[in-house]
Amino acid sequence: MKYLVLGASAAGINGAKTLRKLDKNSSITLISVDDKVYSRCMLHLYIGKKRNLETLSFIDKDFFNRNNIEWIKNKRVSKVESKEKKVILEDGTFHEYDKLLIATGSSAAIPPVENLREGKNVFTLRNLEDAMAIDKLVNISKTAVVIGGGLIGIDIAVELINRGLKVHIVEMVSNILPMQLDERSAKTYERELMKRGATILTDKLAQKGVLDSENNVVEVILTDGTRIGTDMVVVAAGVRANADFIEGTNIEFDRGIIVDNRCQTAEEDIYAAGDVCANKPGIWPLAVNEGITAAYNMVGIDKKIESSFGFKNSMNFYGIPTISIGNPNPKDHSYQISIYDDGQIYKKIVHKDGIVYGAIFQNDISYIGPFTKIIGDGIAMDSIDKNIFKIGYGDFFHVKPNGEFEYKII
Amino acid sequence: MKRIMIDKDKCMACLGCVLGCMAEHNEKGKSIYDLDLEDRTNESRNHIELDHKQNPIPIVCRHCQEPECAITCMSGAMTKNDETGLVEYDKDKCAACFMCVMSCPYGVLKPDRVNKEVIMKCDMCDNKDTPRCVEFCPTKALYTVEVME
Repeated sequence: MKYLVLGASAAGINGAKTLRKLDKNSSITLISVDDKVYSRCMLHLYIGKKRNLETLSFIDKDFFNRNNIEWIKNKRVSKVESKEKKVILEDGTFHEYDKLLIATGSSAAIPPVENLREGKNVFTLRNLEDAMAIDKLVNISKTAVVIGGGLIGIDIAVELINRGLKVHIVEMVSNILPMQLDERSAKTYERELMKRGATILTDKLAQKGVLDSENNVVEVILTDGTRIGTDMVVVAAGVRANADFIEGTNIEFDRGIIVDNRCQTAEEDIYAAGDVCANKPGIWPLAVNEGITAAYNMVGIDKKIESSFGFKNSMNFYGIPTISIGNPNPKDHSYQISIYDDGQIYKKIVHKDGIVYGAIFQNDISYIGPFTKIIGDGIAMDSIDKNIFKIGYGDFFHVKPNGEFEYKII
Repeated sequence: MKRIMIDKDKCMACLGCVLGCMAEHNEKGKSIYDLDLEDRTNESRNHIELDHKQNPIPIVCRHCQEPECAITCMSGAMTKNDETGLVEYDKDKCAACFMCVMSCPYGVLKPDRVNKEVIMKCDMCDNKDTPRCVEFCPTKALYTVEVME
């Protein structure tokens, strides 16, 4: 058997590792554009000089050797020939496979704002090369505009501020981190950012960049006419799947590769995992889980994704941790909202008829993991007569014969 | 692998397991006589919850076969050791993103309370024969068994 894995991030690495765990003898080859394995979730820490090339890695140094995986780095795939079961690289070489795992991830997109795509000092943050380029320019910059006040935007803003820059954050809705937080919990971070000199421009959209003679954006103009002079621009506003090479195959695609709950595509012997897939938030744990699940099915062991619940995020800015699960901003008044707020610790649970739909835990996240399970699986809680903030795994406690926990639904 | 079993009906909520864990992880010495309960930097990796019927429930890490904390970890700090079966935590690799706290379905994990930089994670007392929580449990609500994974 010859396994071929495309991509060296969360899904690809965990897929390859699991293939080796399950099949000690077959050949496993991993091909990637990346020539280093690193955690994309930590790239902002490179900009902040808190991590270097070595500490950005999420695998051991001898990972490929120890797992007997052949790693072909620095190579981009140009085409998958599914009939002949081979993958053609941009350099013209090809690799045959019996089972293929596509885990090529996604790329950050620059929105179609005038002059942003042209600007030499305009960046996204998706790859190590992006982080290195930003790091270089930070050395000679005093101000930066961050377009997009989501998780990645704020991650970047925090580190640019740490490096001494005056940072302007442009967010199109009324508070930062709108996908994860509500106004109350977003304010906590907005205050911390402003304390450190950041300007937060909410309810605003970037309309245009003004280029100098060297094609650097020196000013960003917002739709309300606000003009912000800047030395650099970082855009954190969405991604697109890296899957151009599937053209000509029967793999179904709708803003991402469509897979079943075994991570199989419509094409026989081709699997996909991670951010390259459609219909779900691109978050690390889902990518890992899909990589593992694909690997099981590739070696012929039936395994399904049990939960692809991905509306969960944790963040930790300025020593204040927050975990957000589900949708903490109810769409109408039919939901009940339970709030605990002592000025430092803020907890919000959105529920209806015993089902919890969303929650925010800020500055006290101890032991809150069960809420991810309760919200993700839609576990009913109406029979639990207890302060909702005190609900924990103890209320669902059950031990399997092998000592593992499971949920006893009451 | 060895797993700490829990017989919740035997638990009297004496918090012996909590003290045992704190004693084991006390940098000033592992004896119970070294334990300073006012030292906020010394925290237990286990805890006891009260369920909705006010029954005490000891919550101790399972070192799961498919550990959500390790699956979710984006820094490589939380890993399943396939040889020992333990889910190991390396605080030097940890980026304090707290995805593991969010992901443990059993609510075992929390950040340290002083700096909120390190995860309070059971290390099975470095795989010694009897973990301190078990050693300190007077009712045998906690005991160890060998299990096949």
